[in-house]
Amino acid sequence: MADRHPQDRPDPIRRSLITLRDAAFGYDGRVALEHVDFDIVPGEAVALLGRNGAGKSTLLKGLLGILSPASGTVVGSPRTGYLPQTHRIDPDFPITVRQAVTMGRYHDRGWLRPMRRVDREAIDAALERVDLSGLARSRFGDLSGGQRQRALLARALTTSPELLLLDEPFNGLDRPSRDQLLRTISALTAEGVAVVVSTHDLTLAHDVCDRALILDGRVVASGNVDELLHDHHLRATLHDDPHSQPAHA
Amino acid sequence: MATALAALLLIAVAVGPISTLVSLRGLEFLSEGIIHAVFPGIVVGYVVAGIPGLYLGSLLAAAIAAAVLTFISRSGVASGPSIAIVLTSAFGIGVIVVSQRSDYAGQLQQLLFGRVFTISASELLPLALGLFIALALVAITWRRQVYVAFDREGATAAGARPLTTDLALNGAIALTVVAASAAVGTLLVLAVIIIPGAVARLVGSSLSVGVAIATAFGAFSAWIGLTVAFSLSVSGATHLPGGAATVLVMVLAYLLAGAMRFGRNVARKRLPARER
Repeated sequence: MADRHPQDRPDPIRRSLITLRDAAFGYDGRVALEHVDFDIVPGEAVALLGRNGAGKSTLLKGLLGILSPASGTVVGSPRTGYLPQTHRIDPDFPITVRQAVTMGRYHDRGWLRPMRRVDREAIDAALERVDLSGLARSRFGDLSGGQRQRALLARALTTSPELLLLDEPFNGLDRPSRDQLLRTISALTAEGVAVVVSTHDLTLAHDVCDRALILDGRVVASGNVDELLHDHHLRATLHDDPHSQPAHA
Repeated sequence: MATALAALLLIAVAVGPISTLVSLRGLEFLSEGIIHAVFPGIVVGYVVAGIPGLYLGSLLAAAIAAAVLTFISRSGVASGPSIAIVLTSAFGIGVIVVSQRSDYAGQLQQLLFGRVFTISASELLPLALGLFIALALVAITWRRQVYVAFDREGATAAGARPLTTDLALNGAIALTVVAASAAVGTLLVLAVIIIPGAVARLVGSSLSVGVAIATAFGAFSAWIGLTVAFSLSVSGATHLPGGAATVLVMVLAYLLAGAMRFGRNVARKRLPARER
């Protein structure tokens, strides 16, 4: 398990990587999430909590720039890495792990420019970081669910992101994969990478994040994870199962 | 026979990567929509100006079809029924236009099922040009195409513009339809675009191997299909259209590949049980 101590927490006066003020996001003219005030500094980990449809993925898309704000402001455009939900990806897609990770460098290389040494080194480093160097030539679909997720995390890391967004990263993971992901997130935040994690799992939010936002079409509450998760009203808002309560509560 | 084979080999080379992407992105129905939407352009062009008009009319219709169907598929709102409506209405318009001609039945058959054995050497140049542009569209956008096919959301998050990628692929499909329709006909061109990629998906171990398989499969099917059709027609046993024979060879090979894949999956499932 990742341990985080108050002295490890990021300096609050550090520059915010991205700032949202009274932002609203939606689809096809319908607002899905509104009145969002949010900022994140380097090295901070923030959990987005809420039931299905509460707006977690919508906020991630807003932070990624996929969704433009319907109202309010978004200031800042950090170098961003994104880990999608793994189950959305076709496991039969005929590519190797290395080819999947290489996609992370496509944006820098443009349409046709060949991969350079610096790209190959970034790919090797990302594979090494998630402990998949030995499986680089394996077919992506032959990996376990946890390994696939690590491959996609490696893809996100190839751009050396300042801000890493993880969409329900713990879903369907076995315990070793979950613990490895927790260790990786802790190591990244220690290096100054800001991390936003959307999750249903209160225990994991508690273990890995400094702050949390509880969403339900708007920001219901935000602040220190411990304090939020001890609030019975907020726990009721999450409608989570009783096994997902904080381990240290 | 040599000109027919040259035409189908050109189509096979272009269709290899395009068909692979169609299969990976699940664009079979959208491809059918484009093919049928191109039909009225082919018919109007042919009725107005013969073979040269066929290319011009279909090119215009293809550009409109690629743009409209890209927009419909991106809208995400009931894109299946919308494509079906475009498909059937365009096909209906084409049939009405061609039915105004006195030799309606013969011409309709030619437009639907092609005339590969009567294609002339001078038609190979516009065919090659159209296919070259289609192939170039896919080659230039290849990285993004693969990224979007693998993980559309991740590609968008990484800064790819799916609209550009979608337009390029749909444009390539439309150009292939324009170029290949004269040879194999609008109905059969669907099989030419879909089946090689589907076979590559069944037996290909990697993306590059899949593209190579799709290309070789198209070329091999064309050779077998044309040879069989030509031999049977010359011997007088029966009259077999070359385009239809090629497509039937593709379908049989697809079924064979499907059976092989099924057998391999069954064997894989049984293997651990035996080991235990």
